Amino acid sequence: MAIKTSGARYDIFTKIALVLVVLIIGFLILLPLANILVYSTQPSGSAILTNSWSDIVTRDIIWNTIKLGLSVAFLGTLLGFIMAYTQARVEFRGKKILHIINLIPIISPPFAFATAVIVLFGRSGIITRGVFDWRPTLYGFPGLVLVLTLSFFPIAYMNLLGMLRSLDPALDEAGSSLGASKWKVFKTVTLPLLIPGFAGSFLLLFIEAIADLANPIIIGGNYTVLASRAYMAINGDYDISLAAGYSTLLLLPALLVFLIQRYWAQKRSVVSVTGKPSGRPTMVTSKPAKFFLLSITGLLTSLVILVYLTVVFGAFVKIIGVNNEFTLDNFRYLLGGFANGAIKTTATLALIATPIAGIFGMVIAWLVIRKVRRGAEALDFLGMLGIAVPGTVIGIGYAITYNDPVKIGDFTVFPQVGGGGAILGGAIAIVMVYIIRSSPAGQRSGIAQLQQIDPAIEEASASLGASGGKTFRLVTLPLISGAFLSGLMYAFAHSMTTLSPIIFLVTPDTSILTQKILAEADQGRYGNVFALCCILIVLIMIIGGLINLFVRKTQVSVDRPMVTGR
Amino acid sequence: MASKTGSLKLERLTKEFGNGKEKVVAVRELSLTINPGEFVTLLGPSGCGKTTALRMIAGFETPTSGNVLLDGENLVAMTPDKRPMGMVFQSYALFPHMTVFDNVAYGLRIKKMSAAEIKTAVAEVLESMSLSHLANRAPNQLSGGQQQRVALARAMVVRPKVLLFDEPLSNLDAKLRAQMRIEIRNIQRRLGITSIFVTHDQDEAMSLSDRIVVMRNAVVEQVGNPDEVYRRPASVFVADFIGRSNFLKVENAKKARSGKASVVVGGVELEVAAQENALSSKHPVLLVRPESISVTAARSAKPGKSEGVVSNVVFYGNHVEYTLDTDEGLILAVVSDPIYEEIVPVGKVARYSFDEERAWLLPSESERATKEDQE
Ligand SMILES: Nc1ncnc2c1ncn2[C@@H]1O[C@H](COP(=O)(O)OP(=O)(O)O)[C@@H](O)[C@H]1O
Ligand SMILES: [Mg+2]
Repeated sequence: MAIKTSGARYDIFTKIALVLVVLIIGFLILLPLANILVYSTQPSGSAILTNSWSDIVTRDIIWNTIKLGLSVAFLGTLLGFIMAYTQARVEFRGKKILHIINLIPIISPPFAFATAVIVLFGRSGIITRGVFDWRPTLYGFPGLVLVLTLSFFPIAYMNLLGMLRSLDPALDEAGSSLGASKWKVFKTVTLPLLIPGFAGSFLLLFIEAIADLANPIIIGGNYTVLASRAYMAINGDYDISLAAGYSTLLLLPALLVFLIQRYWAQKRSVVSVTGKPSGRPTMVTSKPAKFFLLSITGLLTSLVILVYLTVVFGAFVKIIGVNNEFTLDNFRYLLGGFANGAIKTTATLALIATPIAGIFGMVIAWLVIRKVRRGAEALDFLGMLGIAVPGTVIGIGYAITYNDPVKIGDFTVFPQVGGGGAILGGAIAIVMVYIIRSSPAGQRSGIAQLQQIDPAIEEASASLGASGGKTFRLVTLPLISGAFLSGLMYAFAHSMTTLSPIIFLVTPDTSILTQKILAEADQGRYGNVFALCCILIVLIMIIGGLINLFVRKTQVSVDRPMVTGR
Repeated sequence: MASKTGSLKLERLTKEFGNGKEKVVAVRELSLTINPGEFVTLLGPSGCGKTTALRMIAGFETPTSGNVLLDGENLVAMTPDKRPMGMVFQSYALFPHMTVFDNVAYGLRIKKMSAAEIKTAVAEVLESMSLSHLANRAPNQLSGGQQQRVALARAMVVRPKVLLFDEPLSNLDAKLRAQMRIEIRNIQRRLGITSIFVTHDQDEAMSLSDRIVVMRNAVVEQVGNPDEVYRRPASVFVADFIGRSNFLKVENAKKARSGKASVVVGGVELEVAAQENALSSKHPVLLVRPESISVTAARSAKPGKSEGVVSNVVFYGNHVEYTLDTDEGLILAVVSDPIYEEIVPVGKVARYSFDEERAWLLPSESERATKEDQE
């Protein structure tokens, strides 16, 4: 996988780090997963599992989940590709702004889309009914596909844009100098080279779509998927084993697809084999092609902008579309007491989890790339579990595991950290979820960055007498500070907006913003939903900006000079 | 079997990038006629506009002004895929998702040749480049030299009228580079394809080319065959860029009756060939290549005329390199096949001499630089 520092045995620092990492992964994800599996073998859970094919209701739910996953994955990848290709290969004004707009959905609260889309395009939607006098049924499959595609296409966009930019422009030129027209070059060179990217995006979107819980609750209507059914099992049936059974059904395809995706990611290395990219890529000049690309891009971007305008506008009026009178009532109500506790708790817990998740991801990256010889792949996979496992499954697993003390015999190995009556009102379990859900992003960017840095730099430190721990702190960490920063930012934004695992962990003492939004959306109080989304986005921007400033300031002197360039 | 077609004419080719304050003139008024089958090298330091010139010929850049004519036909409005030219890229640009065979067959498939014809043509070119055994490999399973040869085979198999090379050897190690140089030259001679080769490596240019175009800051400094650019460089810049040089201070430069120039160097009057502007220059300099200078021990302990103190001497076995501190400046001399006992040691005085036939008078660089700045 990569060059490891030589050396016969692990040094003491590596050993400690390794043991700690495995312990943390064990408690933060493996134990809850194991409990899901254990509980799913109890009567109601195992009934679901064994009859999953013969029982029509269960089969429908499974099929609904897969159909949704496939549709969102297909549409999202297609749109993501069109956006990425336009960004990389078409000359037009406003490129940078477009890029940023396309990325916003990644950090925005999940409900923003669902509620805004209902307000805009629902039965009494501002556009559908207001403009076209059309009353479509949005609840169910079409609405879910629309909302999930809008929320997740940026993942495909980022993925494919990165790949397009790393292609050697000379490849296209070689094609045309051999007589191929631009269209032919696109078909025979560009597209085939992107196949791993398409596959990777498709699989990632599939995982995201089947794992999503917030949107099926709000806009799913009668269209039940595994995640929402598992949620129902806890909140309606009060049957943990049943929830564990559905969770297992959801867990298996998610993990399977994740593994396939990793396998594809390996194959991707074929693309960047020849030389470094140099020069500028050939741009699209054909008028019809440009028109096509820019229209789709324009349409999609307008939709995203429209959604955000709706959120902001909706937050400042009485009832959007019905009574558009300006008001601050929503904010007055929320900030006057209703949401204050949630804001404070959410921000505090996210801020506690962020640095831990950042460092945790970096340490795993460093162990995987530099230290662990046998089992590096396995460690990498374990570190990624937090993102591979659907949030619903994690939440249910935590509820099962940590709503009581974890005991071996009579001996408590882990206190009760979740549920009412837990120490600190269940806050610890929430922080643990934040950490395990956010660290994979830091791990990925850390690995990417470490692979670019010559191991000899660390060896030099060791040969000058620095211990393993010193070398990591003084040499490695500063070198990967860029990845550390992006890992931190992601960890924070992700923690603030995550919902599906949290639903199962909030207690009267610890209420979380996303859960509050869900409750308001459930009651149809969209004004509050929009206002809460605004508060959340502003919080993310302010605190994210502060983190950015703080980390930049402390790391400024080592900003990248060592990464050997071309 | 040199073909009659493939004569390329560049007319005042100019390329500007950006506009306003940011404007960069990458190539200025490049005019050049290249004969069918000729091997021409564009040589110059990095950033002088070689790649841009080549890409205008290939059609990847649209000239700001000027024309590219192939056998009389103006190509400026033609897209790269329509131009009968092949290109070998610095990064090779082999399609990573295709085998060696498919890479080479690509251009023929675009031409819609039959599968049988393609098979024969590809097999033939792979055979001629000793690549047959690699036909089913992926590009990432090849060594640098092999990738290079596949790139060349892929460009040649479509029988282009012109082959373009952009520093294709710069990613290879020195030994392989020398070997590929010979291979490229042999193939090009055999097929008689007009070729333009871009490089910043003077050895490459000298060993490959029929003619060398030396570029500097977007303009052509000199066009000539390898001997001309080496023995009769148009400027101090060209002399300096190609090979090692001594620029000796001269006195009393004037026109001699023979039509050559008469100069005094180290108290000795010489009649030397001169560049056309040399005598109008205030301080002309005399170019003498290090290997044209011979060195012998002097009898005196203090240096006289045409003598200097040896400040450095390095013995290489097949030659010895002296640095002499003289009134004409530091002189570098390379004496080949030396006798070890006769080498003049550091600190001793040595006498230098050279054949006036081997010297070349040039206008000084500093005058030209200031003149250009004033313009
Ligand atoms: N696409 C471009 N846009 C702007 N400037 C360019 C572009 N391509 C080349 N240049 C500039 O033109 C000059 C010549 O570049 P190039 O032809 O690549 O030189 P060479 O190949 O001799 O190193 C350089 O100053 C370079 O920065
Ligand atoms: Mg170049």
